[in-house]
Amino acid sequence: MLRQLAALPLFLIFLLPLALSLALILPTIAEAAAFKALLNHPQLWGAAGLTLFTGLISTVLSLICALMIIAGRIDKPPQAGAMLALPHLSLAIGLSLLIMPAGLLARIIALPFGWTSPPMWATTQDRYGLALTAALVLKETPFLVWAFASLLNRDDLRQAFRGQSAVARSLGRGPASVFLRIIAPQLLNRTVWPLVAVLAYSLTVVDMAIVIGPTQPPTLAQIIWTDLNDAEPAIEARGAAGVLVLSTVILLLLWVVGLSVRLGRPYSRKWLSGPPDTGHRKISFLTQTWGLWGLFYSAIVILLLFQSASGLWPFPDLLPESLTFSAWEKLLSDGRPLLTSFLLALGTAMTALAASVVWFEGMRPSGDKIMLWLAAFLLCLPSLLIGLGQYRLFLALGITGTALAMFLAHVLPVVAYVFIMLQGPYRGFDQRWQTTAAGLGQRRVAFLRQIKWPMLKAPILAAFAVGFAVSIAQYVPAQLAAAGRYSTLPIEAVTLSSGGNRALVAAYGAALMALPLIVFLLAQWLSRPRWRAR
Amino acid sequence: MLNRRHFLALTAAGLSLRPAFAADWAAIEAEAKGQTVYFNAWAGSEQVNGYIAWAGEEAKKRFGITVEHVKITDTAEVVKRVRDEVVAGKADGSVDLVWINGENFRTMKTEKLLFGPFSESLPNYQFVDVEGKATVTQDFSESVDSLEAPWGMAQLTFFADGAKVAEPPLSMAALTRFAEANPGRVTYPAPPEFHGTTFIKQMLLEAVINPSMFYKPGDGAIFSTVRAVWESMLDGLHKNCWREGKQFPKSQADVTQMVADGELLIGFTFNPNEPANLVAAGRLPPTTIAWQHKKGTIGNTHFVAIPMNAKAKAAAQVFANFLLSPEAQARKNDIKLWGDPTVLALSKLSPEEQQAFAATAAPGSVTLPGPTLLEPHASWVPLVEQAWLERYGKG
Repeated sequence: MLRQLAALPLFLIFLLPLALSLALILPTIAEAAAFKALLNHPQLWGAAGLTLFTGLISTVLSLICALMIIAGRIDKPPQAGAMLALPHLSLAIGLSLLIMPAGLLARIIALPFGWTSPPMWATTQDRYGLALTAALVLKETPFLVWAFASLLNRDDLRQAFRGQSAVARSLGRGPASVFLRIIAPQLLNRTVWPLVAVLAYSLTVVDMAIVIGPTQPPTLAQIIWTDLNDAEPAIEARGAAGVLVLSTVILLLLWVVGLSVRLGRPYSRKWLSGPPDTGHRKISFLTQTWGLWGLFYSAIVILLLFQSASGLWPFPDLLPESLTFSAWEKLLSDGRPLLTSFLLALGTAMTALAASVVWFEGMRPSGDKIMLWLAAFLLCLPSLLIGLGQYRLFLALGITGTALAMFLAHVLPVVAYVFIMLQGPYRGFDQRWQTTAAGLGQRRVAFLRQIKWPMLKAPILAAFAVGFAVSIAQYVPAQLAAAGRYSTLPIEAVTLSSGGNRALVAAYGAALMALPLIVFLLAQWLSRPRWRAR
Repeated sequence: MLNRRHFLALTAAGLSLRPAFAADWAAIEAEAKGQTVYFNAWAGSEQVNGYIAWAGEEAKKRFGITVEHVKITDTAEVVKRVRDEVVAGKADGSVDLVWINGENFRTMKTEKLLFGPFSESLPNYQFVDVEGKATVTQDFSESVDSLEAPWGMAQLTFFADGAKVAEPPLSMAALTRFAEANPGRVTYPAPPEFHGTTFIKQMLLEAVINPSMFYKPGDGAIFSTVRAVWESMLDGLHKNCWREGKQFPKSQADVTQMVADGELLIGFTFNPNEPANLVAAGRLPPTTIAWQHKKGTIGNTHFVAIPMNAKAKAAAQVFANFLLSPEAQARKNDIKLWGDPTVLALSKLSPEEQQAFAATAAPGSVTLPGPTLLEPHASWVPLVEQAWLERYGKG
């Protein structure tokens, strides 16, 4: 009985609202005519190809980059938290300010060559979505690095890896071999779901694609987004059919990847236990690449801040003709959206964390699968669809435009991320600690407070910070649930920037980053290992 | 409160309408006091937001009405919200007033989601230029039927930096020649973005000598008679467009920004005063020029409407009436504040009121105006959008 009670918090804030929202929206959209209309969409196949290309390539590249970065810094995992604070949208805006034909790079080249008008570069909106892929890799790599680092920062795993590495090295394996054969497989095993989240995100992203992706054809997610936004019910239904198709494609992809990993296991096992490398490949140079990431993120932030204060800035001038703070004045003239966003993020991240921990402590690990699948499923769904479902639910309950609706709308994706981030590290906790503690007669609560949670401090804080950032970035569900009675930072940002005022867009891009940045830096500082063995 | 049946009964009885309305209006004003109007309006422009904030403050002072500007990016959101609320049986809706026109109005009207008729009984409606501006009663070929109150005028207007474009192209054919001379420096947003769709509709109107066929419902068969000409005109332009017409920007705002950057030479807008306004805001150079095509460009009117389930219907009407007042319209007309052209007939105003509309020539104002062309019948929109997507949507 007590075990089942442990599922209650997540049931109330996640499972039940999710199930009801889907039940309210799915029957209205599964129309045969809509699927036919989708098949007749002239851009369907091109868009599907583009989506698969950008989504798969960016996920694979992000994983390779993250592993390379981690490989060189096993003992001192890099601190990626600050980078995670930069919202996807802000990164896409910043990147395009850098590489677009009238961007900073073009201006730097224009000066010596004497160009007076921007070059005809296809650096953004290129037809293969390379700029979009680059933006995704730049954004998702730090996320994976952070997921790996939060494992490596766990004291029990650190000890284990250190011991295993020492053994492997004494058996004649070089550092590269030790990493690839011993550490990487264990890291990947524990980060399957963050990887799923990255893939799902890359295949369904809308805001980044709008800023930096191509239009002819656009990605499938963009077509769906445009259709779902249409006031014409038939077009909206076509968008909903697209959602079902895209979600099915993602699930199929995951199944194929999972199947090939399983089928490939005998071969990979053979490789894992293969003979030691003869050459001792050095991997220290790979640590250098992390510096580049830091450099890029700093450049983006500086560019955003600079652009936010710029007046008229004709090409090819390196500096704007005038500086103005009117964008920031506009942004700060009303403090309510900022406060609302902050309180919601704090409340939802704390609730999601507490509910997840209660679940982990009370439920058997076998029950996690359903939560993980549902969380991943939620991340695969366009926010507009789930937002509409929630909105119908709130409408039926008569709570649109209330604080409760705002909370429920924000907490859903926060739970999904927090649960996915925390499940691996929390369940991977070495149970022998508990057995030992129990053997010494320590009570469970005391064990949790004095031993388990302090040891899991890093992943717990990481999950909180990610949840906080996810809440801050919510736009669609928030906008629907608010019914104009509340405003949040992203609601202001999206509506005000639809006019294309670049200074205002940049100011909001920077402002959306500020709160999560503080939280990530705090989390990073609080979760530093208490002792550092040399 | 008037509803459609009362209204019909009144006209049928041949009663003199004005005194009846005057009495009713006092009652409406009394009822409005203390109500809050949630005004759902596109919020992409600081000037527009600033104007709405001013109007809200005035409404508070004069009528005791609180106006909350609900900032939205796309009016379709509001249409869907109202539809959902009505389906769910929510009588005290979350939207009291919405900035609307065209397709969204037609949807709300057809689905009976609007309150009214009300607009023609607003006291300030008497100043509206019903005779001179056909679009105040015909919204994208859809009869307004007093279900929305006119707010401002729009007409497709092109702009450029006069220092770079000495002779503005005054037709689509001239624009194509301009692109030949300046390859890669002209484009338009990809339809179904509103401005992009308007651009290809403008091309349609200029593809034939007599465009009267576009003011009747269109279908595939009728479209096929002009489609080849229209496509060859687009082909001719695309050859020398930005990215050779294989990619198109996403929004009109993007095009404007690209003109400001110098990546494009010509931009366009639906607000004839937007270029001047952007010059005043420091986002376009003072050498900016604006023009309309010699034989005319598509124009329309934008309105405010009250959803049938609005909670504060009385206050919404009082606020809509204030937005129609000569004072509020004059302020909206001011290029430094917003520059949205008025729906009123200046001849119906007192000389002092007319004075407030006196245009001060500002850099970026339209110097070569053209006549207003009516929007083609709404049935043409899906036809041209689908044809465009099939031919140009694949890159």
